[in-house]
Amino acid sequence: MRFIARFAQELSDRFEVIDLYDQKKIVTPVDKNDPILPTLTRTYPAAIWFERKIKDDFGIRFEKSFDTRPLVHHERFPNVHPMRKDFKEKIDFAPFRPYPYERIEGEGIFEVGVGPIHAGIIEPGHFHFSQEGEAILHLEVRHFYKYRGIEKMMEGLEPLQGFGIVQKISGNESIAYQIAYLSLLAQAAGVELDENVRRFNALLLELERLAHHLTDLGFIPNDAGFAPALAFCSMLAEDTRRLLKKICGHRFGFGAVRGEALEIDKSAVRDYLEQTREKLLFFQEWITQIPSLWDRLDNTGILPRHKAIKYSTVGIVAKASGVALDRRQDGWYEQFGFAPLSASKGDVAARFTLRLEEALQSCELISNLLDFSKTDTPLESFADGEYLSFTESSLGEVMLYLRIQEGKIDRFFARDPSFVNWQALHLMMPGNIIADFPLINKSCDLSYAGNDL
Amino acid sequence: MIRFWQKRFKEGLKTQNLWADKEMAAIKKELKSQIAKTFAGSLAIRMVDSGSCNACEAECNALSNPYYDLERLGIHFVASPRHADILLVSGVVTFNMYHHLLDAYKQLPNPKWVVTLGECALPASFAIKGPVERILSVAHHIPGCPPEPDDIIRGLLQFIRKIQ
Ligand code: SF4
Repeated sequence: MRFIARFAQELSDRFEVIDLYDQKKIVTPVDKNDPILPTLTRTYPAAIWFERKIKDDFGIRFEKSFDTRPLVHHERFPNVHPMRKDFKEKIDFAPFRPYPYERIEGEGIFEVGVGPIHAGIIEPGHFHFSQEGEAILHLEVRHFYKYRGIEKMMEGLEPLQGFGIVQKISGNESIAYQIAYLSLLAQAAGVELDENVRRFNALLLELERLAHHLTDLGFIPNDAGFAPALAFCSMLAEDTRRLLKKICGHRFGFGAVRGEALEIDKSAVRDYLEQTREKLLFFQEWITQIPSLWDRLDNTGILPRHKAIKYSTVGIVAKASGVALDRRQDGWYEQFGFAPLSASKGDVAARFTLRLEEALQSCELISNLLDFSKTDTPLESFADGEYLSFTESSLGEVMLYLRIQEGKIDRFFARDPSFVNWQALHLMMPGNIIADFPLINKSCDLSYAGNDL
Repeated sequence: MIRFWQKRFKEGLKTQNLWADKEMAAIKKELKSQIAKTFAGSLAIRMVDSGSCNACEAECNALSNPYYDLERLGIHFVASPRHADILLVSGVVTFNMYHHLLDAYKQLPNPKWVVTLGECALPASFAIKGPVERILSVAHHIPGCPPEPDDIIRGLLQFIRKIQ
């Protein structure tokens, strides 16, 4: 069984902890006076961050957990549990409490801290290395610098108002998040989305995937010192953003997914597809003939298949390690030519090649998705209840949960694909040198904003 | 080799804004000469994200693609705040980034300016200390969500005009 998420919510008389797997959902009531529960981390290591987050958010403790350090609450965070319903206050900085990093002791072992602010245009996060000379012995990923309190922000809003926030959870996955949220609202409104709307949305989602993959196809070789790839692919990514702007009015698709299919300039899309496909094929041929590049990509940052499964990874990270997981495998996408792709080696090269293949596949999907016309699915009244949805963003499976109570949002939870994949990043380090870290990290290209919420 | 030149001929020059009108070309020209005057030809920017959704970063990265190629105007994104003239800040300031942002700001040598990027327009939150202007003195704001690469170029020109 694949572990997907563990999160909590507060009801009037109890807490509930919800465990989500690919085959089932388990809801456990938790006593408010003595909130304690057995840990899942012994079986599912990816549960670690979920449990640490629940502890910070709600004050629920987990028995026999081997990591009870705070997660979202950093050194100066006061001792409060902001996701509890009675928490309404503003917080002030508390006295500095040092964070105990994971340590490897031994002669000559030293630590290297990187971030939160990095040397480049990158989101903030902290990477803590234990080194033996150049070789990485261990990496601890520490995030949540960008923790904006999105979940709490959503509470009390009308369901439709939620779109404005959801689309800003992670900019480069904005369309995926909006689609996932739309699916929650459609469930709550008890309507089926119109086929035209689905196609329009799917088309935007593939464009988003292209923009993201194309950017990475440039940045990965660039981190291995091959800058021409970045110049080439960043141009293709720019073309994609411009096309998005042309068809939905926004380069990242903010506001584009609201249950409508818009009238779009299909010949512009066809032109784009023809050019992009041709250039990608050229790129494929060109890049495979640069041995010094593959010397860096091959066998670097390997995530073996059994670990990819054990750590509940998703998206490119899982697929490149031979776990062909893709939420688009739903019986609908296949008619447009979708088939899940995967690779087996689990190294940087595999993640890079897979992105290239997915980009080419997205081109094909888009050309088959073009058959739709302008229409909309009105969404008006929303029934109280609990709803779940999944969407395959360019990073992997986005999972959203929404609880509506008396017509308002009572609880919102989002699990970005990065939230599980970040926890598996350290597994790719042993055997590599610190100079390869940026390359490995880029090959996974995870979101900080979506992870931190 | 022949294939290369054929391709190059077919592609034409990329380093130009194909859709841009004369306005953009004029802006870039002026920006370059203003940078030459005010910053001796080299304007160094240190970008810090203190709580963005990451689309603002993506647009800043786009500024280096061959369509915009900002470096040719003398603008560089630098790795260290100690090399920077401008601290370019995107996103809200989260509780957890507050002190790190101030640290970065302190590291900039004088004279220094803060320029902000975009308006996230998120509801108030306990985890957000506010927009940047509540925390640092902001010399110029570039609006948009996210501001597009052209908007950022325009905004930088306005900034330089403002500080003269
Ligand atoms: S201004 Fe808009 S695009 Fe920029 S970080 Fe904020 S929400 Fe994202």
